[in-house]
Amino acid sequence: MSISDVLSPFTAWKNLFRDPVTIKDPLNERPGAARYRGFHKNDMDKCIGCGTCETICQNGAIDMLPVDGIPAVQGDSGLRPRIDYGRCCWCALCVDVCMTGSLTMSNEYKWVESDPDLFRFTPGVDKKYWDNAELGYQRHDEKHLMPVAREEMPELHPEARLDSFVEIVHGYSIAQAKLEADRCVSCGLCIATCPAHMAIPDYIKAVRDGDYERGVQLLYATNPFSQVCGRVCTHRCEDSCAARHEGDPIAIRWLKRHIIDQVPQEKVIELIGKPAAPTGKKVAIIGAGPAGLTAAFDLARLGHAVTVYEAQAAGGGMTRYGIPEYRLPYDALDKDIAVITAMGVEIKYNHRVGTDIAMQQLEADYDAVVLAIGLHQGRSTRIPGSDHPQVRKAVDLLRQITAGETIDVPKSMVVIGGGNVAMDIARSMARLQMQHYGEIRVTLTALEDKAHFLADPVEIKESLEEQINILDSRGPQACVIDDNGKLLGLKTWKVLSIFDAERRFAPKYDPTDEQLHEGEMIVEAIGQMADVSLLGEALTEKLEWNRGRIQIDPNGRTSENWLWSAGDCVKGPDVINAVADGHRVATSIHRALTPQEATA
Amino acid sequence: MQQLYDTLSQRFSLGEFTRQRADLAFITVGAVRLHALLRHLRDQEGFTHLVLLTAVDWLEDGQFQLTYLLNNRAKCQDLGLRVMIARDNASMESIHDLWAAAATYQRELREMFGIDFPGSPRLMDDFILEGWNAAPPYRRDFDTLEYARATYRERPGRETRDPAAHMKQQLYGDKGDV
Ligand SMILES: Cc1cc2nc3c(=O)[nH]c(=O)nc-3n(C[C@H](O)[C@H](O)[C@H](O)COP(=O)(O)OP(=O)(O)OC[C@H]3O[C@@H](n4cnc5c(N)ncnc54)[C@H](O)[C@@H]3O)c2cc1C
Ligand code: SF4
Ligand code: SF4
Ligand code: SF4
Repeated sequence: MSISDVLSPFTAWKNLFRDPVTIKDPLNERPGAARYRGFHKNDMDKCIGCGTCETICQNGAIDMLPVDGIPAVQGDSGLRPRIDYGRCCWCALCVDVCMTGSLTMSNEYKWVESDPDLFRFTPGVDKKYWDNAELGYQRHDEKHLMPVAREEMPELHPEARLDSFVEIVHGYSIAQAKLEADRCVSCGLCIATCPAHMAIPDYIKAVRDGDYERGVQLLYATNPFSQVCGRVCTHRCEDSCAARHEGDPIAIRWLKRHIIDQVPQEKVIELIGKPAAPTGKKVAIIGAGPAGLTAAFDLARLGHAVTVYEAQAAGGGMTRYGIPEYRLPYDALDKDIAVITAMGVEIKYNHRVGTDIAMQQLEADYDAVVLAIGLHQGRSTRIPGSDHPQVRKAVDLLRQITAGETIDVPKSMVVIGGGNVAMDIARSMARLQMQHYGEIRVTLTALEDKAHFLADPVEIKESLEEQINILDSRGPQACVIDDNGKLLGLKTWKVLSIFDAERRFAPKYDPTDEQLHEGEMIVEAIGQMADVSLLGEALTEKLEWNRGRIQIDPNGRTSENWLWSAGDCVKGPDVINAVADGHRVATSIHRALTPQEATA
Repeated sequence: MQQLYDTLSQRFSLGEFTRQRADLAFITVGAVRLHALLRHLRDQEGFTHLVLLTAVDWLEDGQFQLTYLLNNRAKCQDLGLRVMIARDNASMESIHDLWAAAATYQRELREMFGIDFPGSPRLMDDFILEGWNAAPPYRRDFDTLEYARATYRERPGRETRDPAAHMKQQLYGDKGDV
């Protein structure tokens, strides 16, 4: 017998002083294990009512219901999950999939009631004693059932695009689009935020299924400008996407573009089908921008004869004459317009209403008229020297570039403005400088500081990549002109604040911080207004106005019952709002033109 | 573990080798060679303990994967053997003669995945799903939600809303012509 055999009974004694692993009083205290899956908890501030928990629950234990005091807002349905514990099997799939991480489980499992209906409640709303339990099951921070990162979009490298107007974004491949579409949980929270309320989860599902023809039909049900919107939409929907809480929002805009890129134009026209039989009614539309052409598309499909009067030589409005080609190639825009004209819409180009034909004539010749003239007059800073011929408006220059007119490209220039239009003109002129002189000398001055820039972050990033010199918090004071009348550049002061206590525009400057930014040309990009001279004196008098804009009712009708107005000139600010507006006036006009008994 | 694999390779035709950790590795092996290999591992290599036997449904590939996890107590090593079998009429040689406990695992796999192990004791006895009358529930094409809906009655008072439809009604809706 060895010595250790003799001692071994005693070594067991040391266990006497250890904490017991068993529970002392099992009849009274029965704590769940630290990661036990007990009754649910839901953080009401985080939950967005997406219903993904309901969708995944394999026992049908979850209902989504409205809750007092939680209204529906953009990005939150206001519904909250109610769980039926008669069905729940405590699998925690709902916790694992939760798009915000709001849903977790306590380690509480003991609860006795005689009324079975009490075991159906809304965690986080119906207060329970375990609501603040620290222990219980939570999804591991890094483990997500849905991939959190967006499929990367292939793009032209900065060096390749410095001197070129070729489209920057290449578009997803089919495999990439499927992967991106796979991340969408089909909750539909984004639909309310889209001004046209496009059927986003349905068309994303069409991408998953590879059924692009159904995809195109879904796009056209709400938007005849999918080539345009698939490329340059302001994509506010993505700000409401359920996926943004724990990762990147779904690339809704790129998936729309992907669908429309897959289907040839003839097929698109075939898929939409022929317009309704002619109604004999005639509608005139002024302006072939997204608002006017959307109204034209809808009205033509309903069987009305539509004539569009357009001042320029081609259609698309600001999407052609404002948005640069590297963001939206003309052939993509042409495809959208070709589908619209295929519905029988007649566009009279180079017809400026007010000059080539009078409003009174349209009123007399048509059953209804739509004013969709956009905002084409650039605003001026009116600082000293701003009337110099080398001080230009961004929209005028952009139009000249699109129209192919020759521009005296300055070797150096200054852009005033910090919004997207300022970025567009700065980047367009930089490309022309690169083509002409092999170097870029564009300075952009904005009132706002970097944290409050109006332009999209992507625009700023790409502008910097393209060597634009962006200066923030600079207020323009004068366009400096030498004794020979030559423009030298822009004088600015540092901005201390932009708004006063009442949030009114009242910039304050520090005159001791003065700079001169050299430029042979200065471009003002500080906003646009509508050129309403086409209306003529009498009509201008008759119409009701609201702070400089023509007043319209919720359907887009003006105070003159034959005249409707839509798009930027009355609402804005972007293409998809113009599209939504076009639908709205078309619906209203159709109702007005259709005999009452038929609609009753 | 690599050494073990090299030795085994001399006697058996083996598939892919994955070394997960210093003390855990997996070997893929053909179904016909499994039994002999297990016997050898148990009797010659010290893998005396069958830790578990489990399955994965590779629905898209039309296959089940069986994993036999063995433990060598003396060396503190785990070795998993992976076997792929056809999903249609799935059947695998029983190993209850090597480890009596295997019969229980095989009963479970028969019930949950519908895999047959001819000759395995009490194979057809209910394991945990008493009175089960639907497709084996661990097969990936088994629709759990559909089964729950068809099998269990809904308590009165259940109702639900679709988030998108609810938001439409609350936030924009069809305002019609005003
Ligand atoms: C530089 C720039 C970049 C932009 N980038 C984006 C972007 O990336 N994404 C986005 O969503 N939006 C963008 N926008 C805004 C977008 O282009 C507009 O919101 C949209 O085009 C408005 O459509 P609309 O139909 O109301 O007006 P417009 O597109 O402006 O169309 C109005 C049309 O009416 C015509 N017209 C005007 N007067 C007359 C007349 N008297 N007779 C006949 N025709 C007339 C004009 O020639 C024009 O074709 C940008 C705007 C600019 C200026
Ligand atoms: S734990 Fe499982 S069964 Fe219970 S509600 Fe969540 S998903 Fe449904
Ligand atoms: S998945 Fe999460 S965020 Fe969405 S409704 Fe359910 S609990 Fe709320
Ligand atoms: S895109 Fe985002 S918000 Fe829209 S349905 Fe998909 S996951 Fe939901």
